[in-house]
Amino acid sequence: MPKIARYLLWIAVSLLGAFALATIALHRGEQINALWLVVAAVSTYAVGYRFYSSFISAKLLALDPLRATPAERLDNGRDFVPTNKWVVFGHHFAAIAGPGPLVGPVLAAQFGYLPGTLWIIAGAVLGGCVQDFIILLFSVRRDGKSLTEMAKSEISRVGGLVAYVAVLSIIVILLAVTALIVVNALKSSPWGAFTIAMTMPIAVLMGLYLRRIRPGKVLETSLLGFVLVVAAIFGGQWVSQTPSWAAVFTLTAPTLAILIILYGFAASALPVWLLLAPRDYLSTFVKLGTISLLALGIVALRPSLHMPPLTRFADGTGPVFAGKIFPFAFITIACGAISGFHSLISSGTTPKLIRHETETRIVGYGGMLAESLVAIMAMIAASVLQPGVYFAINSPAGIVGQAPEAAATTISSWGFPLAATQMATLAHAVGEQTLFNRTGGAPAFAVGMAQIFSNTLGGEAVMALWYHFAIMFEALFILTILDAGTRVGRFMLQDALGHIWKPLGRTSWYPSIFLTSAVIVAAWGNFLWQGIKDPLGGINSLWPLFGICNQLLATVALCVATTIIVKMACAKTVGAKTPRLSYVFVTLIPLCWLVAVTFTASWHKILDPNPRIGFLTHARQLAAAGGNPRLIFNDRLDAAVTGVLVVMVAMILIESSLECMRVISGSKPAVTKEAPFVMTKLAVEEHA
Amino acid sequence: MKSRLCGADTLVREKLEPRLVKAGLVKAGLAEAKASAILTAIHRSLTVLVEVLREIFDESAYQRFLDRSQLQSSPNAYAIFLKENEQAKSRRPRCC
Repeated sequence: MPKIARYLLWIAVSLLGAFALATIALHRGEQINALWLVVAAVSTYAVGYRFYSSFISAKLLALDPLRATPAERLDNGRDFVPTNKWVVFGHHFAAIAGPGPLVGPVLAAQFGYLPGTLWIIAGAVLGGCVQDFIILLFSVRRDGKSLTEMAKSEISRVGGLVAYVAVLSIIVILLAVTALIVVNALKSSPWGAFTIAMTMPIAVLMGLYLRRIRPGKVLETSLLGFVLVVAAIFGGQWVSQTPSWAAVFTLTAPTLAILIILYGFAASALPVWLLLAPRDYLSTFVKLGTISLLALGIVALRPSLHMPPLTRFADGTGPVFAGKIFPFAFITIACGAISGFHSLISSGTTPKLIRHETETRIVGYGGMLAESLVAIMAMIAASVLQPGVYFAINSPAGIVGQAPEAAATTISSWGFPLAATQMATLAHAVGEQTLFNRTGGAPAFAVGMAQIFSNTLGGEAVMALWYHFAIMFEALFILTILDAGTRVGRFMLQDALGHIWKPLGRTSWYPSIFLTSAVIVAAWGNFLWQGIKDPLGGINSLWPLFGICNQLLATVALCVATTIIVKMACAKTVGAKTPRLSYVFVTLIPLCWLVAVTFTASWHKILDPNPRIGFLTHARQLAAAGGNPRLIFNDRLDAAVTGVLVVMVAMILIESSLECMRVISGSKPAVTKEAPFVMTKLAVEEHA
Repeated sequence: MKSRLCGADTLVREKLEPRLVKAGLVKAGLAEAKASAILTAIHRSLTVLVEVLREIFDESAYQRFLDRSQLQSSPNAYAIFLKENEQAKSRRPRCC
């Protein structure tokens, strides 16, 4: 394409993006079309990818196409395998896309669609993509080392310890909060509970089919599993309409919590091939299919957003979770904007598959852009709902009242008209007994998705099927995260305990397996139990705690990245291309922003005088009223967990700053722990 | 895979090429070249999509295992592959 045409094209894309952003930001009092959000996001992503990631690649990281990657040098056909960039992209995207980008934006929609959308777009382009891309590249240059190992070798041993604790904490809180989402989605829902229960025998059948009949044919088996799951959704409808069966599958929140805790323990301690691996494949299959379907639905239907751009809850009095836009919108939406968890994937499997350094740009930066687009779709799904309906689903009984009429009156008094009969009709349309107080984000997302799908395909008549398809899809891959996460936590604990007493570190020794599984399950099970017993719905406490943990992990990742960049800039290697020190702003700005957000949010969650926000104020209020000692203990525990994490991250910040200052002042040599340069043979072969 | 691509080939030759000519978008002589370029693009996209899915669903990993250990696909070989991969797979975190 001629140069002038390229300039004109990118000017047009930039203007389109600016116009779309202005449209979503400046429209007041009238509905806008959801496509404006998609256009704003896609245009900004295109400009960000073309220019910002290109700047980072060339000027900051100096990606070298001639440098052999660990996938090439250490190729063993197992962990290290040079793989096509699009294949790695798909693999990486499937690993980073979880329930976070779907649930976070739905919860943040209580502020209106505008704050969340702007944060998703800006946070991804300037923060999340940068983090994923840079950590991926640094891991590639260090033989695929993990974030914890890089923190230890590039900052200090304290850095490594903090990263380890942050990772373990985030896993525990993540498992608790995702389990709570499943409980809230399935309680009193025989249709949903039956469908999810059926995924277990289906997975076992898939496991047997895979192992005995068609070894290794996972795609074919997953397709069969998908057909069976769809049949289970139809079966669920029959169960919900048959009183005797409906009674069996109508489960309370505590019963569901106990079943999920037992499942988590069994999943962690038992071999994976029979149940877990096939479920994992099935969940990935459904996830990728549903996300594609949702994107097509939004583009085909072009729904209008009923949620206003800003609601009155920007003042911090929101019913879904308490707190003002700053900092709470920024910790509520983590995945989709910037998520510390991604740094684990970027320094896990992905760097071992990268064929050329230059491909880290499309995989790291591009993969995160794709996830950000998923978050935009979730925001659209929440915002197509009438605001009254959205708040009825997402508000806990402790705020709006237990009775439908009382809840409808409260929500109407906020300026979002709602009639109890309207909710009854909607609940009937989706095949549920009630949709009031379904906190957690998943049911609201499912209703939004069902509206979009049913308007595209099948009409009102099949809305209940689409709703339960969406619930099945969310619950299925949340349960996959639960079992995989519990196992990962168990292995981490075994690795650490192995330093104290060797047998505890043996991953095949059953006493150690049972002990460490029990510890991990008890840790997240405790938070889950706390969530279901919380009169404010649990999400009010647990989701911000999860967001803080996740963003603190991102802070650790950006600390590691900044320290390495400073060392690279100060290194005096003859002939090597070193970045300017001023380019450190690429990671320093998102790092400063995250420090501001997470530390402010932590301060609020621990000490805020509003009992709906501050854990300690709430504990004091309960103690003064002679409240349940268990709830008081939980509040204090939450405050302690937040406090410990903040102190640890402050330690890594100090360590990282000291290391940078020593390197800049010249009192310490700027030495990075990169693997030595080896000329790639792949590039030579390809260039020949 | 091959048969799917043959389907795409037929689609391009029978449906797309006459339309391109009829719409005056390309001259008759150029239509074949255009169709061939489109076919190549479709072929490449399908290949990449299938490869992505095979990697995500560990089919490629199983194939590499069979090549490495010089085994034929069988229930026994698959059981060994699963055992070998269990540790690595179980340690892989799933993102939020």
